[in-house]
Amino acid sequence: MEPIMQVEHVTRRFGDGETEVVAVRDISLEVTTGEVILIMGPSGSGKTTLLSMLGGLLQPSDGRIRIGDDELTELDESRLPDVRLQHIGFIFQDFNLLSALTCLDNVALVAQLSGISRKEARRRAKELLEQLGLGHRLNFLPEKLSGGEKQRVAIARALINQPDIILADEPTANLDSHHGHETMRLLRRIAKEENRSVIIVSHDQRIKDIADRIFWLEDGEFKNVVEMALDPVCGMSVDKVSAPAEAEVDGRTYYFCANGCRDEFLEAPEKFLVDKLPPVHKN
Amino acid sequence: MLQLAWRNLSQSRTQFILGVGGVALALLLMLALDALMAGSEKDLVAYIEGVGADIFVSQEGVKNMHMASSAITYRDLALASHAEGVISASPVLYTTGVVKTNGASVLSYIIGYDPNEPLGGPQTVVAGTTNLQPGEAIIDEAVARSQDLSLGDEVEIMGQDFTIVGLTRGLTNIVNSISFIHLQDFQALRGGEAISYALLDVAPDANPAQVAAAINARNPDVLALPTTDFSREEKQIIRDMSVELLNIMNLSGFLIGLAVTALTLYTSTLRKRQEYGVLKAIGAKNRNLYTVVMAQAALSLALGFVAAIILVWLLGQLLPLAVPGMGLTLTQTGVTRVLISALIIGVIAALTPAWQLSRLDPAQVFRS
Repeated sequence: MEPIMQVEHVTRRFGDGETEVVAVRDISLEVTTGEVILIMGPSGSGKTTLLSMLGGLLQPSDGRIRIGDDELTELDESRLPDVRLQHIGFIFQDFNLLSALTCLDNVALVAQLSGISRKEARRRAKELLEQLGLGHRLNFLPEKLSGGEKQRVAIARALINQPDIILADEPTANLDSHHGHETMRLLRRIAKEENRSVIIVSHDQRIKDIADRIFWLEDGEFKNVVEMALDPVCGMSVDKVSAPAEAEVDGRTYYFCANGCRDEFLEAPEKFLVDKLPPVHKN
Repeated sequence: MLQLAWRNLSQSRTQFILGVGGVALALLLMLALDALMAGSEKDLVAYIEGVGADIFVSQEGVKNMHMASSAITYRDLALASHAEGVISASPVLYTTGVVKTNGASVLSYIIGYDPNEPLGGPQTVVAGTTNLQPGEAIIDEAVARSQDLSLGDEVEIMGQDFTIVGLTRGLTNIVNSISFIHLQDFQALRGGEAISYALLDVAPDANPAQVAAAINARNPDVLALPTTDFSREEKQIIRDMSVELLNIMNLSGFLIGLAVTALTLYTSTLRKRQEYGVLKAIGAKNRNLYTVVMAQAALSLALGFVAAIILVWLLGQLLPLAVPGMGLTLTQTGVTRVLISALIIGVIAALTPAWQLSRLDPAQVFRS
C-alpha cells in the first residue's frame, strides 16, 4: 500500500556551536493509510519536536517529510497552513477548544478556514457531531462539557476537513479511564473504517492496545519498534514478535495471547473474524 | 472570523461593558465637545441669522458682534439705504451689558431697536409683544425662567429700570442672552448720534454679495457683509477663542479612546494567546487572525460610537433643562471627525496585538 506520509532521515537541531542540541536525530518512518502509530518515550526524548515536524509546524534541519504529493520540507512557510488545514487533523492534550465558541462553531470554523461556506460548514459540523453522539450538545460552550465530550468535539474538529492524517498529542492524558478508553476506541475506528492514518504521541500504556506499530523514542532516536496485533479471540493487544501463539488462516497470520485463544480460534475462525468494534460513521 | 471576534468580545460581560463603555466615554468626550461647540455657535448667531437682515453694515474693519464695538453714522445708514436693490435699512445699537434683577446680574447683549423700522427687533416672541415703547424691554424666556421673572416685572438695564413686555425664545446661549430695549432709550442712555449696525433688507432678485460690494465701494467708512458672511465671522471668532481648548479636549478624548481600545484588545489577545496558537496550528493564516483582532477593534469602536451618539442625544435633551442656553447640536462634520478618529484608534490599537499574533509560534500548542 502506498504510504500517505514518508519521513526520511529527519533531524532537528536547536542552537549552534557548543550550545547545539539535537532534539530529533535521523528519524525515518512510513505511515500507511488506516494505520495507528503510537510514539512513546520519556520526557525530553524529542516527541514534541517530532510531532511538530510531522504536523508541518516546524521545519527539520535535515531530511524530508512528504504528505501525499506535498513535500513539506520544500514548501514555502506561507503554504504550510493550507497543508495543515487540508491534510492534517490535530487533537491536543488539553482539547484546546475555543472557549468563546459553541461546539458546533468550534468544528465549523475549521471547515470555514478551508474556504467552505458558513452554512455548509455548519451543516457538516452538525452531522459529524451527531455521529459522535454530541447532537444534544451542539450549542454548548466547551466549559459546559465533560472531558470526554470535549475530546469528542476536538476529534470532530480534527475530522471536519477529512484529513489524511490525524496527529494526536496525549489524547487521553486529561481523561478518566472510561473516557480515555472511549477515545482510544474512537481513534482506532476512525483509522480502520475511515482509512485515516492516526499518529499518537502518548505516555499512556493503554494506547498500546489500539496501535498497529509502537515506536520508542529516546534521545531523539527510535530505539525500538514494536508491531502490535489484536488477539481476535479475547481482543488483547499482543506484540507480534513475542506473541505466545500464532496461526495462519487464508494466508493471513493471527497472533494470540495464549495457546487457548489460538485453539478456540482455529475451531471456528469465521466466528472471530468480525470487527468487534462498534460501527463508525462514514462521510 | 467575524463571529469569533464578536464572541471573544462579548464572552465576558464585565470586560465587554468596560471595553465598550470606555470607548463610548472617550468618543462621547470628543462628540459632546463638538456638539457643544456647534450648539453654542448656533445659539450665538441666533440673533444674526434670525433677525431677517440680508446685509449687516458695520464700522469699517468690524466683521462681527461678539466682543466688538461698531459705530456708524446716520449718513452711513442713508448711503446704504440708497444702494441699488436695498428695500430698507434699519438702525440698531448694540453693547455688552447686564440685566439686573432680584440682586442678580445676567450678562447680556443689549440691542436697541426701533419697532417702527422693519428690522432690528426679535422676529417673534413667545409672550407679550415686539412693539416696544420707551421704558420697556424684551428678554429671553430662559433668563426669565432662571430669574423667576414674568411679563410686567421690572429689570435694570444700563442703569435704568425697564418693564418686561415680551419674552423671546432661543436667544440665550452659553455666554449670555440677548435683551432688547427701545432705540430711543439706548441713545438717551449712551448719548451721541452714532448707531452700531445698519440691517439691510434687499429685494428678492438682488444679490446680497453684490449689493454689499457696491456699498463698500461707495463708502470706505463702513463694511457691508451679507448675513451669511457676517454670521460665519461671528462663529469664527468663537472658534478662534476656543480652538486650543477644543484641540486639547479632542486630543484627550482620542488618547483615552486609544488607551482603552488598545488595552482591551491587548489583554484580550494575550488572554487568548493559546487559542490563537491552536488556530494557527490547525491552519489559520496570519491574515485570518488579523481579521479577528481588527474585527474586535471595529466592533468595540462601532458599539462605543453608537453608544456615544445616543448619550450625546440624551445630553442634548437634558442639558438645556439644567443649564439654560447650553445646547448640544450634532453636526455631520463633528460626527464624521469622531468616526475618523475612531477608525484611526482602531487601526493603531490593533497593531500591537497583530504583531504579537504574527510572531506566535503555532508549535507552542504541543508544549502546553
